[in-house]
Amino acid sequence: MAVFDTPQEAFGVLRPVCVQLTKVQTVENVERLQAQLQKVNAAALQELQEYVLFPLRFTLKTPGPKRERLVQSVVECIRSILSVTCVKKQDLLHELFSELCTCLSSPSGLKRPPPQSEEVKLTVIQALQALMHSAYGDILLSLYQPSTLPHLGFAVSLLLALAEQEKAKEIRTSALKCLQALLLHCDCQEYHRLLDKEESQRCGDLFASFLPGISITLSRMITGDIKQGHMITVSAIKLFYQTVGFIMADEQLRRFPEKKEKPRVEQSRIADLMVHRGPDWVQSTADKLSLLIHKIVESSSVHQHWKVRLELVELAHHLMLKSSQSLVASVGQLLKALVGLVNDDSPKVRSRSSEVLRSIAEQKVITENRALADVLSENLHSLATALPRLMTSQDDQGKLSTLNVLLGSLKLLGSKMNIVLNSTAHLHRLSKALMQVLELDVTDVKIVEERRQGELPASLQHGLQKGQAQKKYFRFFTDERIFPLLQQVCRVLGYYGNLYLLVDHFMGLYSESVAFRKQAALVLNELITGAAGLGLDVLHEREAAPSMDDLKGTITSILEEYTDQANWHLVTSTEEQEEANDKLAIPPSRLRALTEGAHSSSHVLSSAAALEPNPTIRSMNSNIWQLCIQLEGVGCFTHALGKEFRVLLMSALYPVLEKAGDSTLFISQTATGTMVDICQACGYGSVQQLISENTDYLVNGISLSLRRVAHQPHASRVLETMLRHSDASLFPLVKDVIQDVLFTLDQSYDSQAASFLRVLHSLMAALEVFPATAEEPQGNDTGAEGEASLPAHAQVAKDVMERCIHLLSDKSLRVRLKVLDVLELGVTVLHPHDNHLLPMAHRAWPALVTRLINDDPLAVLRAFKVLCTLAEKCGDFLRQRFSKDVLPKLAGSLSSQAPVSARAGPVYSHTLAFKLQLAVLQGLGPLCEKLDMGEGDLNRVAGTCLVYLSARQPMKLQEAARSVFLHLMHVDPDATWLLLNGVCCPHRYPPPHASLRPVQLSGMGRPRGELTDNVLHLLGELEQRERAMLWPRTQGAPEPHGPPPP
Amino acid sequence: MIATMALPPPDPEFVLRGTAAPVHTLHFSCRSQEPEFPILFSGSANGLVQIWNLKTHRVDKTLDGHGGKSVYWVETIRGRDELLSQGRDQKICLWDLAEGRSMVTDSVSMDSVGFCRCSLLKMAQDRWLIAMPADDPDEVQVLELPSKTSVCTLKPEAGAKLGMPMCLKLWQPGFGACPFLMAGYEDGSVILWNLSMGKMLSRLACHQEPVMSLDFDSEKAKGVSGSSEKVLSVWSLDEQQNLKVHKTHELINSGISDVTIRQDRKILATAGWDYRIRIFGWKKMKPLAVLDFHTATVHCVSFSDHSRPSERLLAAGSKDHRISIWSLYNQT
Repeated sequence: MAVFDTPQEAFGVLRPVCVQLTKVQTVENVERLQAQLQKVNAAALQELQEYVLFPLRFTLKTPGPKRERLVQSVVECIRSILSVTCVKKQDLLHELFSELCTCLSSPSGLKRPPPQSEEVKLTVIQALQALMHSAYGDILLSLYQPSTLPHLGFAVSLLLALAEQEKAKEIRTSALKCLQALLLHCDCQEYHRLLDKEESQRCGDLFASFLPGISITLSRMITGDIKQGHMITVSAIKLFYQTVGFIMADEQLRRFPEKKEKPRVEQSRIADLMVHRGPDWVQSTADKLSLLIHKIVESSSVHQHWKVRLELVELAHHLMLKSSQSLVASVGQLLKALVGLVNDDSPKVRSRSSEVLRSIAEQKVITENRALADVLSENLHSLATALPRLMTSQDDQGKLSTLNVLLGSLKLLGSKMNIVLNSTAHLHRLSKALMQVLELDVTDVKIVEERRQGELPASLQHGLQKGQAQKKYFRFFTDERIFPLLQQVCRVLGYYGNLYLLVDHFMGLYSESVAFRKQAALVLNELITGAAGLGLDVLHEREAAPSMDDLKGTITSILEEYTDQANWHLVTSTEEQEEANDKLAIPPSRLRALTEGAHSSSHVLSSAAALEPNPTIRSMNSNIWQLCIQLEGVGCFTHALGKEFRVLLMSALYPVLEKAGDSTLFISQTATGTMVDICQACGYGSVQQLISENTDYLVNGISLSLRRVAHQPHASRVLETMLRHSDASLFPLVKDVIQDVLFTLDQSYDSQAASFLRVLHSLMAALEVFPATAEEPQGNDTGAEGEASLPAHAQVAKDVMERCIHLLSDKSLRVRLKVLDVLELGVTVLHPHDNHLLPMAHRAWPALVTRLINDDPLAVLRAFKVLCTLAEKCGDFLRQRFSKDVLPKLAGSLSSQAPVSARAGPVYSHTLAFKLQLAVLQGLGPLCEKLDMGEGDLNRVAGTCLVYLSARQPMKLQEAARSVFLHLMHVDPDATWLLLNGVCCPHRYPPPHASLRPVQLSGMGRPRGELTDNVLHLLGELEQRERAMLWPRTQGAPEPHGPPPP
Repeated sequence: MIATMALPPPDPEFVLRGTAAPVHTLHFSCRSQEPEFPILFSGSANGLVQIWNLKTHRVDKTLDGHGGKSVYWVETIRGRDELLSQGRDQKICLWDLAEGRSMVTDSVSMDSVGFCRCSLLKMAQDRWLIAMPADDPDEVQVLELPSKTSVCTLKPEAGAKLGMPMCLKLWQPGFGACPFLMAGYEDGSVILWNLSMGKMLSRLACHQEPVMSLDFDSEKAKGVSGSSEKVLSVWSLDEQQNLKVHKTHELINSGISDVTIRQDRKILATAGWDYRIRIFGWKKMKPLAVLDFHTATVHCVSFSDHSRPSERLLAAGSKDHRISIWSLYNQT
């Protein structure tokens, strides 16, 4: 676009306008010059620079008041010249600099912003900016001499005033930018000469004089009204740290001697203005700056705009990098800011601040710089001291930021934290705070209530509890981010800290008081995780990780403590209490009533708790949590050791399995999760594999525990869990210990029957699904008894059933119920071996009969189930006995009781008599079917049950009676049809041929009676079944019986 | 009242399962330093020798060299690099176990069909004596190993009617001294043999029934033997090398299958037919404990050779296929 390339041509063009402007100083003339300048290329203009500038500067210097428009256009023109040319002469630079500054001078000094219009101000600032950029290399530095100090000072004050007090954002930002350039920290794209050490030193000396003004003004701006917009705050922060970092640079300050150098400058007035950056000055300045930095951190760290917070990170980084020694008093403040921003909402701030922390740590600024390490330790000391108070007094947000700072300080200190930890008082404080804040909320009653459903399939549980920790609730906070933070704190402690010291300390707390036990265990778990270097993010590697043997040793000792009798066998349910009481032979009537109330124990329990604020519910709850935390600990330990944990399985697996068999759902879930953890860490493919490859350890534990009465229930739980999680392949391995179980049972029927029955039940359940192929060959045990020898598993089933027969008459209902269950499974297992099963059935019969006719309704029901299974497996064998021993009594009692229940009111359904009737009625139907009973017996059953079809009977009994008839329909539909029609016949049946006599049924034409409804219902059902049976077949087949469908 | 009651007998430290057959003999090797782990050799009725890692309590290796015939004596030589095993297949096998190997490098045949266990005595570096029942039912043969040359055959005088040798114990009064043999016989006598002369020095009829096991404490010149009766017999050897009954200890149940004095000569253990292990103080034969764990005859008892006394263990092998490991009276 330039038209005039050579200076000569340019001169020809520019000369007239310059002359004209010199003569007449008007805006028009300036604009004309401006227009001509556009046509001149930069090189040519450079030659003519001074010539062209002359009329402009002359205009500015002309005395007398000037119109602002003129000033503005002149300055604008100067700016445009400067932006394409270089200032190569020192004098020119100095003169232009002061001339431009003078444009904004005001009579009122610098207290208030200059009175000129905003346009003028902006143009002048821009021209100054252009001047700073056009000054040629060394020439620019000539501006920074003690002699120019007043000029510079004026410019700095002017720009600060503009930046702070103007309204227009543009002016403020430009002023800050210009100031940045003036202070040699311009960050624009253009080339800037780098200062060498000497030069920096000199400039630093000069700028030191401005530091108070700059820092105070900027900090005012930074902490000022947020309505000013984040851009200004960001720029101000940047300028602040650049300036402070430059003037307070450790590198520069290191060279200053105590004594003031003899001023090189003779002008004493200027020499007075100069600052000597000696130690005293540094100290006092740092103190003042620390106040400002504190304010800046306070306000910026919570600034709404993330860019401001990001700039704060840069501030901290820059100052720590450049001036960590001179500003040592502020380092704590800066670190706190950084550490606090590590968990910022904005991902950019988060990543940058952790990056900065990491780089600080990596550069060993902390660890090698003693002063800084001291500051951090100091901080940690005071934080540790205040922590207990803060943890109780702060809200969640406050706790969060306090803990963030704690975590950050620990991470930065690294191994140096041991200095603090070695102080007993501080470790004590720190741990006290952790104990306080980690206190669990144990008021959730549900945890105690939820029982494990005994037969939950193992595979189902895996999916549910894939190594996840139970969700915890805490007394003193609810924010979900706090617990992970606390975990991090503990892990970092474990990572860098002296593991022996810490473990010892928290083990001390663990055993010291129940109040701390759970928290201490939580901490211990995380310490180990951290010590193994798991689940944490550190800034720098520790110098020496604990050896695998050390870690193993530590873990072993914690495990020993966790699984110690006193810490592992805690009362967690009323059942256990009851069991314990059973042993003491004190009948706790209330509790017994509760459990006898069958499976709805949760309901009963909670109402019991409501009736009587039972303090033990709370303690049981606490115990449950205790165990869960310890179980989770085992999970942590196994991950910490990996495959090395396999050696510890010898002692650790048994207690875990014991808890997996706990009746409290919460505990068994956690323990199952721990087993999954162990599988993962130790390289087992499944829980089943874990158990089968360690059966020897488990069996060893079981057999030793069986020798101690108090441990027997635990042993049975372990065995139960083993069986529950395994298939038949386990059987050969546990056979040995099953003999021990049976032996022990023989020794202690009374006291231990209940707990052993659970095992026997699991055992039988496992044997029931025993695949025939897995039967082991009978080695040298093949007896010459003549009897066909039994496979080992059937032999065990037989052995178990032997014991069951004895226990069938046990005085405890719970035992009797369980025995019936076991017996039923036993029948199934032994079924293929009739010559063993039948004698067994024969021996069990008398006791079973008693259960059927003279026991609690619950037992009657179960006994019926056993009877049904037995009937299925050896029906012929039982038919006779049943009709002789059982049926008459049952029928008799049903008949005699019928009038009573028919008359009874609503309360009747709570009586034992009712339950018994119901049980018998519910059981009879299936039994008739299974036993394939003879006609006489069937008639007897039907006759007895008929009265219960009466509408006067309680609804439940009617239903049960109907179920009997539904079963009878299966056995003999015709007879049932006839019987029912004998009571009530809804249809007429015209003979198909006139020669046949009409069908006469006794129920025909009867008036509606009490039985009618149920009979009609049953007949309807019967009809439907007939149809369902008939229609799928050939349509034309003659109907064998029953009325034709209407 | 509780204070006056004796402490309840302890439980086993642990129980090793998996021999799948009655256990007849046990032998510890626990002296080696880390990273080597303590091991226990077991010989069972199914002809297998199993090497148990006492750190993991698991079988590290199984040696099958007796054709399924009961192994009833095992002993290590050269640290744990070599092992001797005596089986009912009438063979004594020498196993090379060094560097993870496990093969029979040599074997000695015996014609004896009895249950008499061999006895081994180290004479010098790489030279051992082994006493074993000889071809003739009432004789004992002593061989030198590894050369297998016969040192002597100990033949009772005609008409002595000792019956078969039942148990043997080679010993020497001091290292390098002339070796002796204590042998228990079917007729219930214990005989002291001088090996260099091949001569019977003393005979003591201390049992009515066959001597099942004996052990001799050469330092106190005192020995103990058990038989199928209800009696433990303690006898001593005087300076004229005559055996004398020192004391007898009545037991409640009859039958001792093994008796062993601990290396420190403080206690001794017996393996009982009544399924029990008994511990006595060796000095006064004070009964210390009755260990009740096994559910069948206990066949053998053995003390470990841990260098630290506090780690010492006792192992017992039983017909019930289990090996129980106990930690007893270690705090001396």
